[in-house]
Amino acid sequence: MYLDIENALFTCAMGLYLVSTVLYFVFFALKKEKPATVAGWTMTAGFLFHTAALAVRSIGAGRLPLTNQYEFATGFAWGICLCFLVFLYKYKFKGLGVFAAPIVFLVIGYAAMQSREVRALMPALRSNWLSIHVSAAILSYGAFGVACAISLMYLVRGRMAEGSFFAGHVPQRDRLDLLSYRAISFGFLFLTFVIVSGAIWAERAWGSYWSWDPKETWSLITWIIYAIYLHLRLSRGMRGRSAALFAVIGFVCVLFTYAGVNTFIPGIHSYA
Amino acid sequence: MKLLKKIARFLGSMRFALILLLLVVAACTAGSLIPQGETEAALLARYPGAFGKVVTTLGLGNVFFTPWFLVLTGLLCLNLLLCNLVRFPKLRKKMRRYGVPDKTIAVPEDAPATREPERVFAQMGFRKVETTMLGGRRVMFAAKHRCGVWGAWLTHLGMLIVILGFGLGQLLQQEYTVYGVPGQTKQIGDTGYALTIDAFEVALREDDTVEQYTAQLTVTDTATGETQAGTVCVNEPMQRFGLKFYQNSTGWAATAEATRGDKLLKRETLCAGEYMTLEDPAGLSVLLRAFYPDYAEDATGKPMTASGKATNPAYVYMLYYGEHLLGMNLLQGGDAITVDDITIRFTDPKPYTLIQIKRDAFVPLTAAGAAVLIIGLLFAFYLYPAELRCTETEEGVWRFAGRSAKADAVFQERLTEAVPRDPGKEG
Repeated sequence: MYLDIENALFTCAMGLYLVSTVLYFVFFALKKEKPATVAGWTMTAGFLFHTAALAVRSIGAGRLPLTNQYEFATGFAWGICLCFLVFLYKYKFKGLGVFAAPIVFLVIGYAAMQSREVRALMPALRSNWLSIHVSAAILSYGAFGVACAISLMYLVRGRMAEGSFFAGHVPQRDRLDLLSYRAISFGFLFLTFVIVSGAIWAERAWGSYWSWDPKETWSLITWIIYAIYLHLRLSRGMRGRSAALFAVIGFVCVLFTYAGVNTFIPGIHSYA
Repeated sequence: MKLLKKIARFLGSMRFALILLLLVVAACTAGSLIPQGETEAALLARYPGAFGKVVTTLGLGNVFFTPWFLVLTGLLCLNLLLCNLVRFPKLRKKMRRYGVPDKTIAVPEDAPATREPERVFAQMGFRKVETTMLGGRRVMFAAKHRCGVWGAWLTHLGMLIVILGFGLGQLLQQEYTVYGVPGQTKQIGDTGYALTIDAFEVALREDDTVEQYTAQLTVTDTATGETQAGTVCVNEPMQRFGLKFYQNSTGWAATAEATRGDKLLKRETLCAGEYMTLEDPAGLSVLLRAFYPDYAEDATGKPMTASGKATNPAYVYMLYYGEHLLGMNLLQGGDAITVDDITIRFTDPKPYTLIQIKRDAFVPLTAAGAAVLIIGLLFAFYLYPAELRCTETEEGVWRFAGRSAKADAVFQERLTEAVPRDPGKEG
C-alpha cells in the first residue's frame, strides 16, 4: 500500500517538475512574466508532493530512504529542488528556474528509471552514519546543482543586452558570481562532511576508513576540483566567466561521482 | 641563501599547490579507472600496446602505493606546512588589526550618518561596542568574527594532519584476520593474544536476507592468561587489549572425516578453501573447494544456492596426492569419497566467521585532523571578519564606515540600508 501511495505522489511530483520546466521555458521564450510566477508555484507544489513521497517511503520502509540508486537519486533531486527554492524565495529572481528546473527534472527522471522496490538493508548499511552521510551528500550535491544553474545563468546573462526582458529577471553578473560562490562554499563544506562521515562509517563497517574505493576516490577528485576553484577564487581573484565554467565542470564531476561511478566502475559502493 | 628562500617560497606557493592537486587528480582518475592490484601480466593482457606499457611503467595498476604518488603526497604536505608557516605571522597581524580604532579604516566626511549608532551596530550584528576618543572626537568601534581570518589556515592544518595520520597509519598499523567456527581458538599473528570464537550467529529475516552477523569472542593474553570477552557485529566493532575487532565476513565450513573401515583416521573442521592432509597414507589431502548450502542449478546448469539455509548441502572437493590432482567432484547427501580403503565424508555444515583485527594508533590523529578541517571551513565560509566604526561629528550625528574581509560589497549594501544618508529623515 505504501508503495502505491509513494508511486502516486512521486509521479505527481515528477509531473509538476515537468510542468514547471516547460513554464520556465515559456517564460524564457515568450518573455512573459506570468509563466515564471506559475512555474515557481508549480515547483513548490512538486516539492511538497516529492517530500510527501519520501515521507511515505520512509514510513513504509521503517528507515530513511537513502540506501540505493533510486532512493539517492530521488533524494538528490529533492536536495537540488530545496536549494533552488531557498534561493528563489530568498533572492526572488525568476530566471534561475530556467536552469535549475531542468536539472531537477532530469535527476528525478533518472530516479524514475531505477527500481523502486523497498529492499531490506544489508548489515553494513544498518548504521546511523548512513543517514548522516547520505543526507549530507544530498545537501552538498543539491548546492552544487544550484551553483551550476546559477553559473549557467551567468554565462547566458553575459550574452544578453542590458535592459532586455530576461536580464530584468536575473541579478547583476557580480551578484550571480557571488551567489554561485556561496552555493559552492556551502556544498564544499557539506562534501567535506560527506567524506568525513563516510570515513567514520567505513571504519566501523569495514575496518578501514579509506580504501581508495572508486566512489571514495571520485569524491576526493570532486573535492579537489572545488578546492582548486576556491583557491583560485580566494587567492587569485578568479571571478566571472572562468569561475562559472569551473562551477559547471565541478557539477559534471559530481554527476559522475554519483551516477557514473556506480554505473561504470565496480566497488564497495556498488549498492549505492 | 637567496636561492634556498626562493625554492622554499615556491614549495609553499599556491602555484605549486595547484600543480600538485592537478597531479593528484590525474593519479586518482587513473587509480579509479584502471583495475588496482592486478599483476603486470594481467594488465598487459588487458591493455595491449603502448598504453599497457605506460600503465605498467608508471605503476598505474597500484597507483596509490607507487613511490611517485608517495612523493607527490609528501610534497603536498610540505606545501601545506610551508604555506601555513609563512602565513602565520601575517594572519596574526591581520587579526590584531581588526577592531583597533587607530588602525582601522578612516571615516570619510560624507559617510552615512545616524543619531542612533547603537541601533546600527546591533542591526549589523556587532555586539561588543567600545567607545574612545580619537583626534578629539568620540569614536565607537566594534569588530566581529576576527577568528575568521584563521579559516583557510586551519583548513590547511587539518588537511596536513589528515594526510599525516593516514600515511603513518598505513605505514605502522597492524592488521590480522582470524577465521573459524565456534569453539575454535587461534593466535592473532605475533601479537601475543589468542582469539576464541565462542559463538557465531547469522540472523536471517523471513525473506532469507541477512539481518546481522554476530560473533561472541574471547581474547586471551597468552603471557598472563588474562581474558576479555565481547560481541562484534557488522558496524559495531569491539576494542580489547588495544586491538579493534571487526565482523568482516562469513562463509561455510564443514567437518571433514577420513576413515579406514571403522577406524577414524582424522577429523577436522574445514572452512571453504582449506585442506585436510592425512598422515596415513602420507601425502593424501582433500580440499573443500566450495560449498552450496541449498544446492540448485541455474538455467545454464551452473551450480548455485537457492537459499542461505543448509537444507540441501553440496560440497565441491579436490583430492590431491602430494601435488598431483587425483580428482574433483561434487558430493551431495550421504555421498563420500573413496580412495582405496579410505573413505572421506563432509558433514555438519555451519557458517564460519572472519574477524578482522587492527591496531592503528593514528586513527584519533586523523579524526582530529578532519575535525580541524571542518572547523577551518566553517571559519573560512561563515565567519567573515568585519569591523564597523563611527565618529561623532560637530552636528551630533555619527558617521559610519566599515569593512568585511569577504563579500565586502554585500556588507556595504547592508550598511547603507542600516544607516540612512540623511540623518534628518530618521525617526
